[in-house]
Amino acid sequence: MKKLIIYLSLFTFCFTGCKKIIQIETENADPQLVIEGVVNDSLIDQQIKISKTIGYTEANIFPKVSGASVTVTDNKGNTYVFKEGTTPGTYINKMKGVPGVTYNLTVTAEGQTYTASSKMPNVVKMDSIGVIKNFFFGRERKTAAVFLKDPVNETNFYHFNLYVNDILSERFYVNNDRLTNGNDLRIQLFFKPPTNDHDSDELNSNDKIKVEMECIDSNIFDYWYALSQQSNRGPNQGTTPANPASNISNQALGYFSANTYQVLSATVK
Amino acid sequence: MLIKHYLALFFLLFLSTPIFAQKKFTISGTIRDAGTGETLIGATIRISGASTAATLTNNYGYFALTQPEGTYTVAVSYTGYASIVKTISLIKDTKLNEELKSANDLDEVTVSANNRKNENVKSAQMGLERIDMKSLNSIPVLLGEKDILKTIQLLPGVKSGGEGNTGFYVRGGAADQNLIILDEAVVYNSSHLLGFFSTFNADAIKDVSLYKGGMPAQYGGRLSSVLDVKMDDGNNKEFKFQGGIGLIASRVKAEGPIVKDRGSFMVSFRRTYIDLFLRSSPDSTVNGSTLNFYDINAKANYKINDKNTIYISGYFGKDNIGVKDLFENNWGNVTTTIRLNHIFSDRLFSNTSLIYNNYNYTVRLLNDATNFKATSLVRDFNFKEDFQYFSNKHTLRFGINATQHRISPIDIDSDEASQVNSLTQERRYGIESAAYISDEWAVNEHLNFLYGVRLAAFSLMGPGNFSTYDADGNTLSTENVAKGKFHKNYFNLEPRFSVSYLFNEENSIKASYNRNTQNVHILTNATSSSPTDQYVLSSTNIKPEIADQVALGYFKNIQDNNYELSGEIYYKWLQNQIDYKNAAELLANSNVESELLYGVGRAYGMELFFKKKFGKLNGWVGYTLSRTERKFTELNDGKYFPARQDRTHDISLVGIYNMTKRWTFSSSFIYSTGNAVTYPAGKYTIGGQAAYYYTQRNAGRMPYNMRWDVSATLEGKVRKKYQSSWNFGIYNLLARKNPYAIEFITDPDHPGKTAAQQTSLFGLIPSITWNFKF
Repeated sequence: MKKLIIYLSLFTFCFTGCKKIIQIETENADPQLVIEGVVNDSLIDQQIKISKTIGYTEANIFPKVSGASVTVTDNKGNTYVFKEGTTPGTYINKMKGVPGVTYNLTVTAEGQTYTASSKMPNVVKMDSIGVIKNFFFGRERKTAAVFLKDPVNETNFYHFNLYVNDILSERFYVNNDRLTNGNDLRIQLFFKPPTNDHDSDELNSNDKIKVEMECIDSNIFDYWYALSQQSNRGPNQGTTPANPASNISNQALGYFSANTYQVLSATVK
Repeated sequence: MLIKHYLALFFLLFLSTPIFAQKKFTISGTIRDAGTGETLIGATIRISGASTAATLTNNYGYFALTQPEGTYTVAVSYTGYASIVKTISLIKDTKLNEELKSANDLDEVTVSANNRKNENVKSAQMGLERIDMKSLNSIPVLLGEKDILKTIQLLPGVKSGGEGNTGFYVRGGAADQNLIILDEAVVYNSSHLLGFFSTFNADAIKDVSLYKGGMPAQYGGRLSSVLDVKMDDGNNKEFKFQGGIGLIASRVKAEGPIVKDRGSFMVSFRRTYIDLFLRSSPDSTVNGSTLNFYDINAKANYKINDKNTIYISGYFGKDNIGVKDLFENNWGNVTTTIRLNHIFSDRLFSNTSLIYNNYNYTVRLLNDATNFKATSLVRDFNFKEDFQYFSNKHTLRFGINATQHRISPIDIDSDEASQVNSLTQERRYGIESAAYISDEWAVNEHLNFLYGVRLAAFSLMGPGNFSTYDADGNTLSTENVAKGKFHKNYFNLEPRFSVSYLFNEENSIKASYNRNTQNVHILTNATSSSPTDQYVLSSTNIKPEIADQVALGYFKNIQDNNYELSGEIYYKWLQNQIDYKNAAELLANSNVESELLYGVGRAYGMELFFKKKFGKLNGWVGYTLSRTERKFTELNDGKYFPARQDRTHDISLVGIYNMTKRWTFSSSFIYSTGNAVTYPAGKYTIGGQAAYYYTQRNAGRMPYNMRWDVSATLEGKVRKKYQSSWNFGIYNLLARKNPYAIEFITDPDHPGKTAAQQTSLFGLIPSITWNFKF
């Protein structure tokens, strides 16, 4: 269905007259705490990042929040204390998460305490990645794709990151198996470069593509899905934008996710 | 309790009619166009003598007036037609069937402009706008494709769904709260080509009435407006053929007698041909793409005898969009109406209707890995029985109505190789029924009432599994209901009341109150109407939407009805309004009702309207000052926030200048405040990407909309057998870049900062259309 919407919006684009930069009137909100915490199933320095929002009109320098106390516990009785590393605002602990285990995060920063919990889902193997050719109005378009086999006996949620020549695609890729349960999936990831240039969204020969795949829990799916509904579409198109529902308490922005992690790379022929 | 009082008042008013000892007789008949035999809706019959009275013909051209015995002068008139004046002595019930000659067949001097003179001032009806099909033809529109839905957007109180969009909002209502009926059949999706054009081919349309408030009791089922569209009956005198060739579409229409003066038919066809240009491309994916729509209107009527006339009409429309080997999407409406007019007595007129209508869409993805076909259908069977009883000072209208709805939300059909699974979402069945009675009562020369009540019942029927949900969307309970069993019933009493008080022939004030309820709801979180919009019925979770509206207005005519001036204020309360949870998945979701939020709304405003009706230069100015807000516990901290279509100021200016007999120039200008939207108040990064922090919902504004369109029509030389005309138009003459969408990007001039980039749809667009008639 999402694909259909992309096609339709390409159609609409045929009518599109022009674009211009405009000034908008909005308030600059007070800084809010943002927590982005991930525990995955690799033995690495797991990272909990704490930062703050800035006003809409300000330059993109996001203040880091240092000096917080960050602890992760699991339902097996383990406690992991995260320490601020060399990067301010990034709290690390070398550990490995286990599928099926629920992890609880407690952050105390600037006198406030924030908690969250997330259960790491089972691993679904990312079989391969590749490039698909579509023809659209006579133009060949190459698209990155992920191949995997969705397990039939459970509800699965996936989140992907696409990198082209080490540049992160500015789109939120998120899927569930509501309509595709138990099937061999080929999930296309349409590239959106950080530049505003619409011509550079195509894959070319010898481009290096890298795809990260995470199996996530349902709260985190809702989080990414809400962002994906809003990304690249401003107001007046589609869903009224709102802050995605966070699984962190006390009105912090961001999320805490216990998820699996796999990565594959390939070169476009 | 309120209901009881209301009913008591109702009967008291009706029974209090004084009983005269004097003998009374009824004069009744049908008024038609002398050239085409087409019945005239709303022609005025005015009689004076021992007493004076006036009435209008109903939707079938029928009228009846009851007066004391005596000699009377009867005048029959209709805009653009020559009046007929007759003297009759009313000593028994009398038939008066008249045919009026159209201006086209006459010298201009003799044409009366006095149809419905001061009707806008006198009638108790408020919030009613009638579109003159003749001026519709000269109002400039996008690509020269004349369109009633775009023309009504130029009226005060009616807001456009967006640039080039046929969706509309009436007095703060949502786009799905308009009852759009074509020959009484509900048209669920009134847009072609993703909303750029409407399903109504103006060639086939005879009459358009829009009720913004004070809806008469015979209408129900939607909250904010009624758009009652009636098709042409067809010429019952001679065969006629007409058509037009435009940039985007061509039209043909044929009409003629089945039996002269007794029956006629009309068939009209329209099709776009953008894809014919695509087809000429050498590229195989381009020439294999489709982008078209077509529609057919057909109608036939036959007068069986003086007391019975039968009408059959139908509409069939289809849109096709597709890219070869990628996807196909088609959608359309079908309506069929069979009606029998029966005159029981001179005073009792009845209309029985059997109506079938459906809306369906198909989406097909042709990609090998994700190929599937999804279909959806909304289907209604509708029975209506409507009576009109004409008494001395009362016109009584009463009837019943029963509709069976069947909704097939989505069926997905896919083969083994597809990664999408086949799925059939449970059908939903509902029965909407209503009984109504209303009375139009001319108390005296100053006071008119139009009051009534509609009892609306809705039942959600089995078979099916019906679930209830907690606030988080988890299923609380599921009930399996057998076929034909009632699952949930709702009853709503909808009082309708309007009154007008005339200070004199040219000045009046009016007030109205009405309640409307709605049991069929559209779920969509997109701005413009989409072919895949989903329809749901009221249920345990979704309560019937309710609107209460009060309105007050002042109406004035100047210079012998040459100018009309009106001002109306309204306030509307809305209950059980629907919005969506964060990350709601609406499509192909059997638990879609768990994704909804319920809240209230309020809308209030002032509408000013000034119209010049006659003369070389005519047209109107409309201004609306309004506010539309919604409130949901879960959104915006539970505080009221502006609805997206809340536009504070809305101005439209329409001018038509008949320079010579052959040249007509017209212009329309619109200005409106930008839509209420949610702008970010802060930003942060998440997952390595920019994310925005939002505070107040819809507290921001899009830039304002402003557009000036012009057109010129050149009538060809009048020939005996054949006539043609050219229409030249320019859409958006100022080439202003009106806002369609805004997205946030990295500021190209100040890297590291954020900029808002506006997308506009249309620049200046010229058009040319050639019309012919023979």
